Amino acid sequence: MNSNYEIVVGLEVHAELSTETKIFCGCKNEFGAEVNTNVCPVCMGLPGTLPVLNEQVVEYAIKMGHAMNCTINGTTKHDRKNYFYPDLPKSYQISQFDIPLCENGYLDVLVGDEVKRIGVTRIHIEEDAGKLIHDDSLGGSLADYNRCGVPLIEIVSEPDIRSADEAKAYLDTIHTTLLYLGISDAKMQEGSVRCDVNVSVRPAGSTEFGTRVEMKNVNSFSAAHRAINYEAARQIKVLEEGGEIVQETRRWDDVKGVNVLLRSKEDAQDYRYFPDPDLLTFVVSDEKIAEIKASIPELPVAKTMRYMSEYKLSRADSELLALNKNTAAFFEAVIATGKCEPKSVSNWILGDIYKVLNERKCEITDLALTPANLAEMISLIEKKTISNAAGKTVLEVILDENKDPNEIVKEKGLAQVSDTGALNAIVEKVLANNEKAVTDFKNGKTNVVGFLVGQCMKESKGKGNPAMLKDMVVAAIEKM
Amino acid sequence: MEIDIMRLAKLAKLSIPEDKVEEFRKKMEDIIQMVENLPDLDTQGSLVDPTNTMELRKDEVQPSFPRNEMLQNAPYTAAGCILIPKVVD
Amino acid sequence: MDKLYSLTAAQMKDLLDRKEVTSVEITKSVIDRIEKTDGEIQAYTSYNFEQALQQAAAADEKRAKGETVGELAGIPVAVKDNMCTKNLRTTAGSKMLGNFVPPYNATVVEKLLADGAVIIGKTTMDEFAMGSSGENSAFQVARNPWDTTRVPGGSSSGSAATVAASQVPLALGSDTGGSIRQPACLTGIVGMKPTYGAVSRYGLIAYGSSLDQIGPMARTVDDTAMLFKAICGKDKMDATSKDYTYTPYGDSVKGMKLGLPKEYFGEGISAEVKERIYQAVEVLKAQGAEIVEVSLPSTDYALSAYYIIACAEASSNLGRYDGVKYGFTGSDRSSLENLYISSRSEGFGEEVQRRILLGTYVLSSGFYDAYYKKAKVLQKVIAKEFDDALKLCDAIITPLNPTTAFKIGEKSNDPVAMWAGDICTVTLNIAGLPGINVPCGFDSNNMPVGFQVLGRKFSESTLLTIAKCYENTVGGFAVKEF
Repeated sequence: MNSNYEIVVGLEVHAELSTETKIFCGCKNEFGAEVNTNVCPVCMGLPGTLPVLNEQVVEYAIKMGHAMNCTINGTTKHDRKNYFYPDLPKSYQISQFDIPLCENGYLDVLVGDEVKRIGVTRIHIEEDAGKLIHDDSLGGSLADYNRCGVPLIEIVSEPDIRSADEAKAYLDTIHTTLLYLGISDAKMQEGSVRCDVNVSVRPAGSTEFGTRVEMKNVNSFSAAHRAINYEAARQIKVLEEGGEIVQETRRWDDVKGVNVLLRSKEDAQDYRYFPDPDLLTFVVSDEKIAEIKASIPELPVAKTMRYMSEYKLSRADSELLALNKNTAAFFEAVIATGKCEPKSVSNWILGDIYKVLNERKCEITDLALTPANLAEMISLIEKKTISNAAGKTVLEVILDENKDPNEIVKEKGLAQVSDTGALNAIVEKVLANNEKAVTDFKNGKTNVVGFLVGQCMKESKGKGNPAMLKDMVVAAIEKM
Repeated sequence: MEIDIMRLAKLAKLSIPEDKVEEFRKKMEDIIQMVENLPDLDTQGSLVDPTNTMELRKDEVQPSFPRNEMLQNAPYTAAGCILIPKVVD
Repeated sequence: MDKLYSLTAAQMKDLLDRKEVTSVEITKSVIDRIEKTDGEIQAYTSYNFEQALQQAAAADEKRAKGETVGELAGIPVAVKDNMCTKNLRTTAGSKMLGNFVPPYNATVVEKLLADGAVIIGKTTMDEFAMGSSGENSAFQVARNPWDTTRVPGGSSSGSAATVAASQVPLALGSDTGGSIRQPACLTGIVGMKPTYGAVSRYGLIAYGSSLDQIGPMARTVDDTAMLFKAICGKDKMDATSKDYTYTPYGDSVKGMKLGLPKEYFGEGISAEVKERIYQAVEVLKAQGAEIVEVSLPSTDYALSAYYIIACAEASSNLGRYDGVKYGFTGSDRSSLENLYISSRSEGFGEEVQRRILLGTYVLSSGFYDAYYKKAKVLQKVIAKEFDDALKLCDAIITPLNPTTAFKIGEKSNDPVAMWAGDICTVTLNIAGLPGINVPCGFDSNNMPVGFQVLGRKFSESTLLTIAKCYENTVGGFAVKEF
């Protein structure tokens, strides 16, 4: 990127809320149902029908508002946004205009090792539209209204984002926050989180904003990253060639990696917003708002920061642990036993256990593994009762069975041999069988000690205490 | 006062025949003249009305309607959907 | 028994309860009456005779078994054609919905059916309830039974005409700016617009959602109350509906204070109409009511506020008629845009298009504050003035329509003149208050005159009491032999 310019990005994120029913009717809010089966006269906008607001939508949106440090407008209303499109059966979308449910917040995100604060202008609630399926064989498009009336929150950021990386970090944080709060499935591939991207550029050091261009059809966070870099480069090129940026809406084509003009400012829609007369003002009491606030868990960025400072974990490990609500809760439950070091717990979870989760494509809560069993297993290693290798064997069992690790150690005879007499016999045997290595060691190739300890472990069937064995091997050679 | 009747028609997805545009404009202007009779009032602030509020609905599933009933009035259908002229977005 | 069709609902109920007639007999009489007279009255856009006879038989069976039945069990009711009836064509008087068959019932229809009422048919109306004469129907112009060359008023034209012509005792109308009260007035029957929120709007095809209200029309006060009682109350499908407990009404105005607002007796009101109303006021005074003068200074602005709000809401409510999902579909399917434009231009009548354009104008960018928002602020001012005036009295009496029924075609090319006729009725819709038309004699053409009684929110029983007192005192309302 040309360093003479600064990129300015603002994002509008739409997230579907995972309520049981739609926002204004009792139809199921469900992805993937057969076309036009989750519909009723209300969500299909039949003449005479009226919307009735789902209280869960309000509660979920307020949760997100708290998570993004917003002011909650306890007294608000709905407005109609009027435009014609076949996925919008009433020809207006019920949204919120001048009084969003939540406003004036911010979100702290981690970019590299820095914390960046991104302003949140507003979060409002609205209804989703249906889906159009394009079918050339029928010479037209097909309208499926199942998604009509699925509840959405629209989160509008301030133009505080200065790079594609920051945008990506902001979007990822929103994503994990939605999952943490349990208010959205946040599945990109199902389109339950979508975003519009506003990009402008300005000479580095300038305080005035450049003309912004809006990009539609950005269907994933990684696409947002590419789209921002593409658009910024396009604008810089125009400016460098002496041209001017015009306010317009462009369509991102992620396959080709380019965007094309969708409509210019002159074609801008006139949405004729006005308060929806079918829905009166609604009030959420201060007590209810406070109650919702009290239910907000510690969120991923805060957790990451705490893991780094409290447990001295690396930024990368902290973030990985905090990213998934279930993993973080598990990690904290193991620590809470007070039996083992956070660093080893982190290593076990992010190492062996993560591998299993990836293989099985499941959550940590899907395993039979309990925090108590993992804590016990790790403490056995830390107390040198068993070796690390034996720990892996224990883990294999407790992953799928709630069994006391001590019992497993006993049953399988995994206890580490720390008896000097027994170990001495092994060391002597191994040294006798590996004369070349001993000679090498004496000649200064001290790293062969690893090989010799390995041989000793093999001889002890994995039960030897490797640290003791190492000391004994070195001492034995030096005595020779 | 001049009303851009064509712009309004475009927004409302209506077409007004050429020979009727003048008549429509005239009648519209008469009507707007009538409704322009409004006093000076403070229009600051939002139209929210805390004195008249509504109750919200519990998040409980109600049965949806059979698809054939929901599509029974559609002029054109195909594959369980309503068929519309091709849309390019 | 002879002329069962001409009985009031209360009389029918009485005979049914005493098992002197059956609902099937009544219904057959009503069907026969409609078949004989509707060619001239044109009160119906759809008949529901087959279903009606089944509903009548079901009501008879329940009564025969001694089961408890609703007050309206076995009594025929006509329903305005903008209230959805499952599997029965519902057109809202528009070509746009000429073939629309709803898959669901409006809440009021569900309530009628639950009560055991017999739905006889759907009544003729101005297209999407936009009109005050019935002439904006896409299908036919309902006639005024008192003089079939004259309009019955609108937009609940057929509901007024069928009741006035004694085809049925009861009909449902809807009132956005006077559409129940004004046709009731012009055809000499009782019609009440309830308080906004007293009756569910679910299933009522919307015109101006914040003003629309369903209400009863009948030839007597008792019948009006009976139908109102059956349909009022909160509905979980309508977020704007309110808890409402029907309270019985009396028949004495003794000690009541009745307000007369001078702003409603200005030059626009014909001398004959004024005279009849002053006479009616004297009748009530003689019954012990105290007359007080009240003032409603913003009345002049109400008409503007009404048309801005109603048309703005209509422009949005009527966006859904686009030729895609239901109803009329346009001739040009060459593109989506052309399908929209051809469907809407061919499917909507001229008055509807005019109101959509006005609504689009007042909501459009740059004009919203000057028109729509100002009208909404004005609405509060008007409501406050009514509140203040109704602190000084129990109810207010005004003219209902500036004139009596005019000739068909007389005003149809002058929308401003037509719109101006709504001056006495729209204020109530703006303020959300209840109002009732009480017939009070005839003008020199022998066309009915009526006065309006309006009151505080949810004071329907007060309005019914005043109307009942007047009805008793004058010995009942005249019924047109037709």
